[in-house]
Amino acid sequence: MKTATYYLLVVLLVVFWGCRKIYEAPVPYTFKNTSGDGRFSPAIRQALEGVYTVSNGHEMFGEQVVVKWSYLLNNSDTTHYLSIFCGTDAAFFNLERGPQTYDLILNGYWRKLVNDATGLADLVVRVKQNGELKTLNGSLAETDTLVIQGTFGSNTQVPTQKLTLTYQRPLNKQPFAILAHRAGGRTSDLLPASENTVEMIKLAARFGATGIEIDVRYTKDGVPILYHDDNLNLRLIQKNGLTGPVEDYTYQQLTTLVRLINGEKIPTLEEALDAVINNTSLTFVWLDTKYTGPMDKVQAIQQKYNQRAIQTGRNLRIVIGLPSTDAVNAYKDLSNKENTPILCELDTTITRSLGATIWAPRWTLGPQTQEVNAMRADGYTVFVWTLDEPKFIQQFVQQNNFDGILSNYSSVVAYYHYSEN
Amino acid sequence: MSYRLYTCLFYCLLINLTANAQQRRERQRPSFLRPKRVFTPDHPRYVQPNTRQPSIYFPQAPQPGKVRKSIGIVFTTTPPELTEEILISVPAIDGNIQYGLTKHLFLTGRVQSQIIQSNIGLGLRWGAKLTDRLYVSPGFEATTWFGALRIKDVFTSQAYGIQTYPSLSVGYRLTRDVQFTIKGEAIMDLYYRSQVGNLAVVYDNRQVNGVALTFMLEQPFYHNRHVSLGFRAAYSNFNWQFWSLFDTFDRNLFYPQLIFGFIL
Repeated sequence: MKTATYYLLVVLLVVFWGCRKIYEAPVPYTFKNTSGDGRFSPAIRQALEGVYTVSNGHEMFGEQVVVKWSYLLNNSDTTHYLSIFCGTDAAFFNLERGPQTYDLILNGYWRKLVNDATGLADLVVRVKQNGELKTLNGSLAETDTLVIQGTFGSNTQVPTQKLTLTYQRPLNKQPFAILAHRAGGRTSDLLPASENTVEMIKLAARFGATGIEIDVRYTKDGVPILYHDDNLNLRLIQKNGLTGPVEDYTYQQLTTLVRLINGEKIPTLEEALDAVINNTSLTFVWLDTKYTGPMDKVQAIQQKYNQRAIQTGRNLRIVIGLPSTDAVNAYKDLSNKENTPILCELDTTITRSLGATIWAPRWTLGPQTQEVNAMRADGYTVFVWTLDEPKFIQQFVQQNNFDGILSNYSSVVAYYHYSEN
Repeated sequence: MSYRLYTCLFYCLLINLTANAQQRRERQRPSFLRPKRVFTPDHPRYVQPNTRQPSIYFPQAPQPGKVRKSIGIVFTTTPPELTEEILISVPAIDGNIQYGLTKHLFLTGRVQSQIIQSNIGLGLRWGAKLTDRLYVSPGFEATTWFGALRIKDVFTSQAYGIQTYPSLSVGYRLTRDVQFTIKGEAIMDLYYRSQVGNLAVVYDNRQVNGVALTFMLEQPFYHNRHVSLGFRAAYSNFNWQFWSLFDTFDRNLFYPQLIFGFIL
């Protein structure tokens, strides 16, 4: 009996561990990234943006969705992407224009951020004229209604489930900052790129973001890089035998020996800001201070890229985030604080005393209506961080107290903001 | 060939004709198992029929009207998906009380607390004896958990919820004093409410949150004081101890727990 007990124990342990699911969400679609408008002229793209009701497919994606375009710049080429933001399970679609045909075709994938559900999507844009669905050609009449219809599937399977979206109303145009945490989302969100990378920065707008937050540290030889954790660890990097603080390694060592979880190099702050200015339409960058020590190098880079943004006519603000008293002291130690926009995460008194233009309290303190209203009345911008719980995102957006939300689920913030009446 | 046939027949007759059932069982045991030993009353592995040893997890009911209790500590390790590079083993005070209602049925109560968050449970278990050593007990427990955090510039948050735990325990008495229990639980969510400032979120859909498997050893420690020492592997979507992390993943995460308790 004793032996049988041991056998039973081993079997139970093996079954228990064997049942543990390894979560992965590989993107089932390969983007062709064709630049140019194709048949999606600026007028059609503009007309397509809006809040749509979902008839077929509402069990998966909710009763309504938000449809919004974003783009990526590569020198003089512009590539457009259509995103659909849903109110269920932090779901979104990323689509690109399909092959040049008579129809307006969109191909891509969908993903639910709360789990690993994903799949292909093939959609086509139609117009409903007098109750009849037709191909959209040229401009829309006032009585026409846009309909996006097609199919979606599971993982790489051929899409067979019907999806029908019918235009309901335009997007909410109120200004609001949708800030993507760690350049787009955490590595644990199983996104196509690793957190704090150039690749993620290029994806941020497709996840609904209008701005990003990135984590800045110094290498041993003083190069500002993007990295969140205190140490090199298997959460963020591929196995290579290296451990310990990232500050113990030179930039050359990190570039040569370390690859992030999705194969990217750890980027320098300059590479990241280059990508923001040259490739994206992002309007805000929050440089989170994860380092200890002097701030002057980061300040110099911030000033350089803010200046470049002005020169290139970009609407872009790069600010240094001060999350702690150490960071505040590093800021105070700067010999010249001119042209150094900062964001303070500490209380309102410190924020005011530092001359910050942005106050960013934690969302776990609640809406703090009185303090937020007082700060905004005095001309401060107020962001709340890092808010991921969809129902709380909905309430924070509806309360309309804040100027923006920092979230790992920027697609959820986008859904609630743009669909707000 | 005929020799083998006669031998076989002989053994068949022997098995069928013997009046001793214990001997018959012994002969049917597979060859890779040791012959079953019969222990004399002075042997440490001798188990007196219907005996009761101090226990909390072992699936044997206390005598009707009797109470048994334990106090101890539970360490739960945070899953890396939630706390990323920071791996914390969070201790909680763990108190258990059980009261025998009938020969088989008993009430269970459990309190776990980390001061800022606590969990109170009440349940019923039915303990049944299969053999002198082997016991089984289905059970059902309902718990309510609640937590509140007020830290300047960090938290003004609170939350509470209700969960239920249908379970099945199987216990084996290894020796006179040492008892081993395996408990399987389903974790069901009934209600969840969290609040930050004056905003609140409620989830009240009944849903399966996860499963848990507990391996528990109960034995004497010193001066006839018994202890429970075990490991609980919970694989669930939400763990009440980490409500303040406001996890949004719809994924089952692994929560290992080390459990130690003095049976009073």
